[in-house]
Amino acid sequence: MSLFWQTLICGLLLGGVYALIAIGMTLIMGVMKIINLAHGALVMIGMYITYVCFHYWGIDPYIAIFISMPALFFLGCLIQKYSINVLIGKESILPENQVLLTVGIMLVLTETMRLIFGSDYKSVHTSYTGTSFFIGDVSVSIPMAISFVIAMVFTYALHIFLTKTDIGRSIRATAQDKEAAILMGVNTNKITIVTFGLGSALAAAGGTLLVPIYYLFPDIGHAFVAKSFIITILGGMGSTMGALFGGLTLGIAESFGATYISMELKDVVGFVIFIIVLLFLPGGFKSLTKR
Amino acid sequence: MLRVNNIDVYYGEVQALWEVSLQVSEGEYVALLGANGAGKTTTLNTISGLLRPKKGNIEFLGQDLSHVPAYKTAEMGIAHVPEARRLFPEMTVEENLIMGSLPKRAKEKRKESMDWIFTLFPRLKERRHQEAGTLSGGEQQMLAIGRGLMLRPKLLMLDEPSLGLAPFLVDEVFKIIKKINEEGITILLVEQNVMHALNSCTKAYILESGRITLQGRGKDLLSNEHVREAYLGI
Repeated sequence: MSLFWQTLICGLLLGGVYALIAIGMTLIMGVMKIINLAHGALVMIGMYITYVCFHYWGIDPYIAIFISMPALFFLGCLIQKYSINVLIGKESILPENQVLLTVGIMLVLTETMRLIFGSDYKSVHTSYTGTSFFIGDVSVSIPMAISFVIAMVFTYALHIFLTKTDIGRSIRATAQDKEAAILMGVNTNKITIVTFGLGSALAAAGGTLLVPIYYLFPDIGHAFVAKSFIITILGGMGSTMGALFGGLTLGIAESFGATYISMELKDVVGFVIFIIVLLFLPGGFKSLTKR
Repeated sequence: MLRVNNIDVYYGEVQALWEVSLQVSEGEYVALLGANGAGKTTTLNTISGLLRPKKGNIEFLGQDLSHVPAYKTAEMGIAHVPEARRLFPEMTVEENLIMGSLPKRAKEKRKESMDWIFTLFPRLKERRHQEAGTLSGGEQQMLAIGRGLMLRPKLLMLDEPSLGLAPFLVDEVFKIIKKINEEGITILLVEQNVMHALNSCTKAYILESGRITLQGRGKDLLSNEHVREAYLGI
């Protein structure tokens, strides 16, 4: 029985961080109506920034979040303003072309990191790496628990931002009806830029929170694009709450897959859930709350 | 207040408006009438900047709107209540109203405006925490008008507010528009319900296949033979 609880808690903690990353993707998807396939690469950049902060300047990964998030917010704004929005202005270009553009951005980011840091696996060793505490006979990794708590705090903060501030409401309004938002006086062009920046910052936060738990290498982004996409579909596109539950579900499912099936097949579990959801609940968790 | 000067508007290659001109003075209640597809919505969308005229221009309070981005027209005092209401379906009634008061001037009066709208539409107060998408058609129309009023507009443009409503609600909507006008807000109303609109407006324009064919006082147009034949069926 303790193995069961161990697996559940491990999955839940990791799922919280997945959720944070996926919420970034779902925000961008809501406003832009495109899948940002560079999202994983943004997570990866966040991880490298954290690595550099720790390795060269001795900054603790959890402090480095205050560097990686603003940096990626800025990068995200630049990407939206000077590449994606430029493409929208062109007539007769299909929305799919913006998705292709994000693939290009992903490649540029990934290969730039490879150029600078090489393809080697890197990891960060802090004083708390590998430490854990016990709840009964279940051991809980301290860095995973800290990462989970921070991820949940950010998720909650984002929820407050989206529901209680004018910019947050404008982001949701733009996602629900762009033209009506313009009539309300929303500069939707600016909103797309802020949203991409915000989504990127959340990706960076997720990346940073993974650094004390995970290792990093330039291609690690691919895994997170796939995970975020699965979570977004699980949760229902554009839904923040859905992405939260989707993230936790995926984390737990992967964890059980790893424990009870096999370590190599844990990603398969995610994809199987993905297919099942598409077949039987195409609207995702979001569709359960309303008819 | 508002001057539309000889505008030609196109959708791609297709021309929708031919030299449309109209004037709305402060405090007036102007109706723009016509059949489906005559170009009424196109005219409103061009005024609020969602579409750009290929020829001609639009002036509001003496300022040329040709290079004013669409999102800035709200700030200038034009509230556009679009066709089919276009509420934010997953936001609550209250949030939809808040969205109507984003520009600085309106934001300062947000609380006050909301109270005013809740006295105008008591139904909305009851449902303030309900998502807009779950409201009935009539309630949604009330909310759409309320959201427009949250701007404290100088000019309120209404696009077919009676569309899809039960007859008793149509009367109700026209009564409310009249009341809003009496509070000093200038109205530009687009309608297919010609009878109702002519009865309540001060001035009307008839739009037919993208051209203004008739204009005059509401009461005068009611007795116009062409109007009676084509729109009132008498």
